[in-house]
Amino acid sequence: MSLDEWVTPTVDPEVRAFVYSIVSAIGGTSADEDGTYVLGDDALACLKDVRRWIKGFDQKQNRFDVQRCLAEANFAKGDLLEIMAKWPENSMEDPLKYKVLLACLELLGLLTWPVEVEETQMRVHHHRHLPYLHLAQAGYKRDILHHDRANVLERAVRLALPAMAVPRKEREPRDDGVIRIALYFIRNVAMISVPANAAYDGDEAEISRSATISTFHAQNVFQLLLTVASSMGDEFVEQDVILLEILFHLLKGVDVERLFMEEEARTKANTQDLRELMQKEKAMLSGYARHAPTRHNRFGTMIWVKRADERVSTVSGQTFLGKDQKIMEQMDGSKKWNKPRLRNRNVEEDERKDFDIKVHLDAPARKQLRSFVEEFLDSSFNPLFTHLRRAIEREAHRVEGVHSMQYFYLISWFLQAECARRRQIQKNAASRQASTPANSDDESFALIAGVMDQETFVLLNRFMQSSQDDKSWQDLNAGMKCFTQILLSVQEMSESSVEDDQDIAENIQNRIFYEETTHDRILYILRNYKDQGFGYLDACTELSHVFLRMLERYSKQNVDLQVRSRRRARRKKNADAQANGEANADEEHAEEAEEVADVQRTSTERKFDFARFSSKFSTQACVNTFVAFTKYYRDLSNDQLKRAHRFFYRVAFKQDLAMILYRVDILHLFNKMIKGPEGLSTEMSIFQDWQELVRQLFRKVTKKVQERPELMVEMLFSKIPNTMFYLEHGYERELQTRT
Amino acid sequence: PATSNAAALGIDEEIKVAKKRQPIAKLDDARLLSAAGIPKLRRISKERLKFKGKGHEFSDMARLLNTYQLWLDDLYPRAKFADGLAIIEKLGHTKRMQMMRKEWIYENRPKPSVEDDTAV
Repeated sequence: MSLDEWVTPTVDPEVRAFVYSIVSAIGGTSADEDGTYVLGDDALACLKDVRRWIKGFDQKQNRFDVQRCLAEANFAKGDLLEIMAKWPENSMEDPLKYKVLLACLELLGLLTWPVEVEETQMRVHHHRHLPYLHLAQAGYKRDILHHDRANVLERAVRLALPAMAVPRKEREPRDDGVIRIALYFIRNVAMISVPANAAYDGDEAEISRSATISTFHAQNVFQLLLTVASSMGDEFVEQDVILLEILFHLLKGVDVERLFMEEEARTKANTQDLRELMQKEKAMLSGYARHAPTRHNRFGTMIWVKRADERVSTVSGQTFLGKDQKIMEQMDGSKKWNKPRLRNRNVEEDERKDFDIKVHLDAPARKQLRSFVEEFLDSSFNPLFTHLRRAIEREAHRVEGVHSMQYFYLISWFLQAECARRRQIQKNAASRQASTPANSDDESFALIAGVMDQETFVLLNRFMQSSQDDKSWQDLNAGMKCFTQILLSVQEMSESSVEDDQDIAENIQNRIFYEETTHDRILYILRNYKDQGFGYLDACTELSHVFLRMLERYSKQNVDLQVRSRRRARRKKNADAQANGEANADEEHAEEAEEVADVQRTSTERKFDFARFSSKFSTQACVNTFVAFTKYYRDLSNDQLKRAHRFFYRVAFKQDLAMILYRVDILHLFNKMIKGPEGLSTEMSIFQDWQELVRQLFRKVTKKVQERPELMVEMLFSKIPNTMFYLEHGYERELQTRT
Repeated sequence: PATSNAAALGIDEEIKVAKKRQPIAKLDDARLLSAAGIPKLRRISKERLKFKGKGHEFSDMARLLNTYQLWLDDLYPRAKFADGLAIIEKLGHTKRMQMMRKEWIYENRPKPSVEDDTAV
């Protein structure tokens, strides 16, 4: 037995032979013609054969064998891209050349198509091929973006142009197909990223987001996107979701604020960031140095710690001499056992969908992206997003599950971008001493009006509700981000100098705050956080923070705010049914159930009481969520820490429910944050606020413990609601005698 | 027939004695309610805990936390402080613990009224 027979081939040898013979028949570099690429006699037919192999073998049998062979045969770079680069721009008049180019483009689209298999469908050969193909696709992307002679993407755009020039009514299905091929190819290129868990041995910068954006800019892809998006609805219909995907993969994770900063401000912000990081590092190092040993590591000190009942514990190392707190830590830290943790099932591991990963852009890419985003907002935002909303509402055939999520994420992104731009314009106008009177067109919010209507809110509410019911957290995350951003935009709108805008903002707020289901949902989300990951946690705390703040403000302005609430009338109805007797119960049961449901659904209006609503946020579940958030304190920004600070402040001092916070783990966390080790950096501007809050809280706790020693035990647990009043005041609440 | 008989009875086979693992001590409500558990904590807090008051919030809190840590180390040396706290917090949701907790809370209530006896 030879070695070759020992190794099981990854691909059926016959398949490999077929594919390789086709690939070699397409063409090759010619020795006669100075090494240029020469097409084979039947190149077009061969290209079609390759396509047939991929469609008929790979896709039909749910395998990746042919694609693997093509990747190993260097088909994309060696043949397809060579053909694309072969002819000059004007050669597309020739129908044969046009056909060959189109076939190449289609194959490129197929090869770069995202390879994914659902976890339940994974077979052995999938496990074999997928990692290789992911790497191969990263290679394709690099070759496409940085081909040395041809502008591949521009070529793709040009191939689609004749079809796009035809008015929509006269377009053949074939023309639509060509447009689709080109757009999907662009989508694939935008989507491919360095595989997360494989060692990519090229330069990652070559296929980074910055490189993608720069190439898109240089090869006029952005122009194409703007053209299609701005005439969405009249000239283009089916293409909206593809465009949505392209935008999503281009923009996800890009920091909007940084994007819209002026160069000077950005440099300043970057310097500030660097300074803060260096300060943090310095504080960390000095923290270590304070406790570092002053002699060599074999000096061998051993310390006894006397404890109650005549017992001692020992700690070794001279570090701990005279540092009681340090000894306590060492005794705790040297324990070997860790409480077993469940694997996070709630966190989605799909990095293609994940928009919480921050992306860094280099300076030119940022500039190019910014000008694209500005043009997009000016020309295409409203048509594209209204059109998409209709498609999603209608549940059109082309809309898939993931598109709603992308839709809402992009709304939040663009709203943020528009607000950032507006602020930038205002700042510039102010710095120019208002030499030019502010243009009222610039001031109006008409550019984002497409998503600020009742239909979008209804869709968003339904989306959030359904993703919450389905436990699809990443979707809910996008929904929350979108809702937060809408609230912020409305807020900005109500502060606008134009009177119409104020009216509209008032109107929108009225509608948002009118539905009690919205209030309940936000409360529900905050209460029910459990292991959904940091991005989700950040989104849900931000949403409740922003929502509560704006609701407070709004209800102060409109003292007689009404909300529509659903009244429950089940109990009364049941009592009625029992009174009627059980004689004719059977046939009326069904009818009655319906009626009961009807009654339950009846809604009433009632006056909104902000104090009562906000007190619902001061429950143990909400506190637990915010504690989980605060546990990340070392990585949180000033704003995020402020959010947590406000929340705890409201709970402890405004609503006088500090009792909820009297729990040892919470106190331990707060103590660690302020007093270290590894605490909050004292240089942060929010540090003072936190220190004051914690100090006040600690004072309250120690006082209370002395007053009521039974708290010592209760502090170990979450409080029982009934006992909280007694613990706080020392006597029972009078109301309880009502029963 | 004698040999087959012995085989059927299983006399000839060696009995395998599986050595049982030493069970790992658990931090459960029994342990928490034992003498080293909450009763001890209550005793400690009455006897030893003194606070300095205003101006010493952080040192007071450190002392309080250290008390808990040492108590927990005696009760269940296996777990780190934070882990132990999480376990105990979870235990507090059981029915038995809730009853005991209410009992401790209302123990030295000034005037026990009639209808609240149900809570005890």
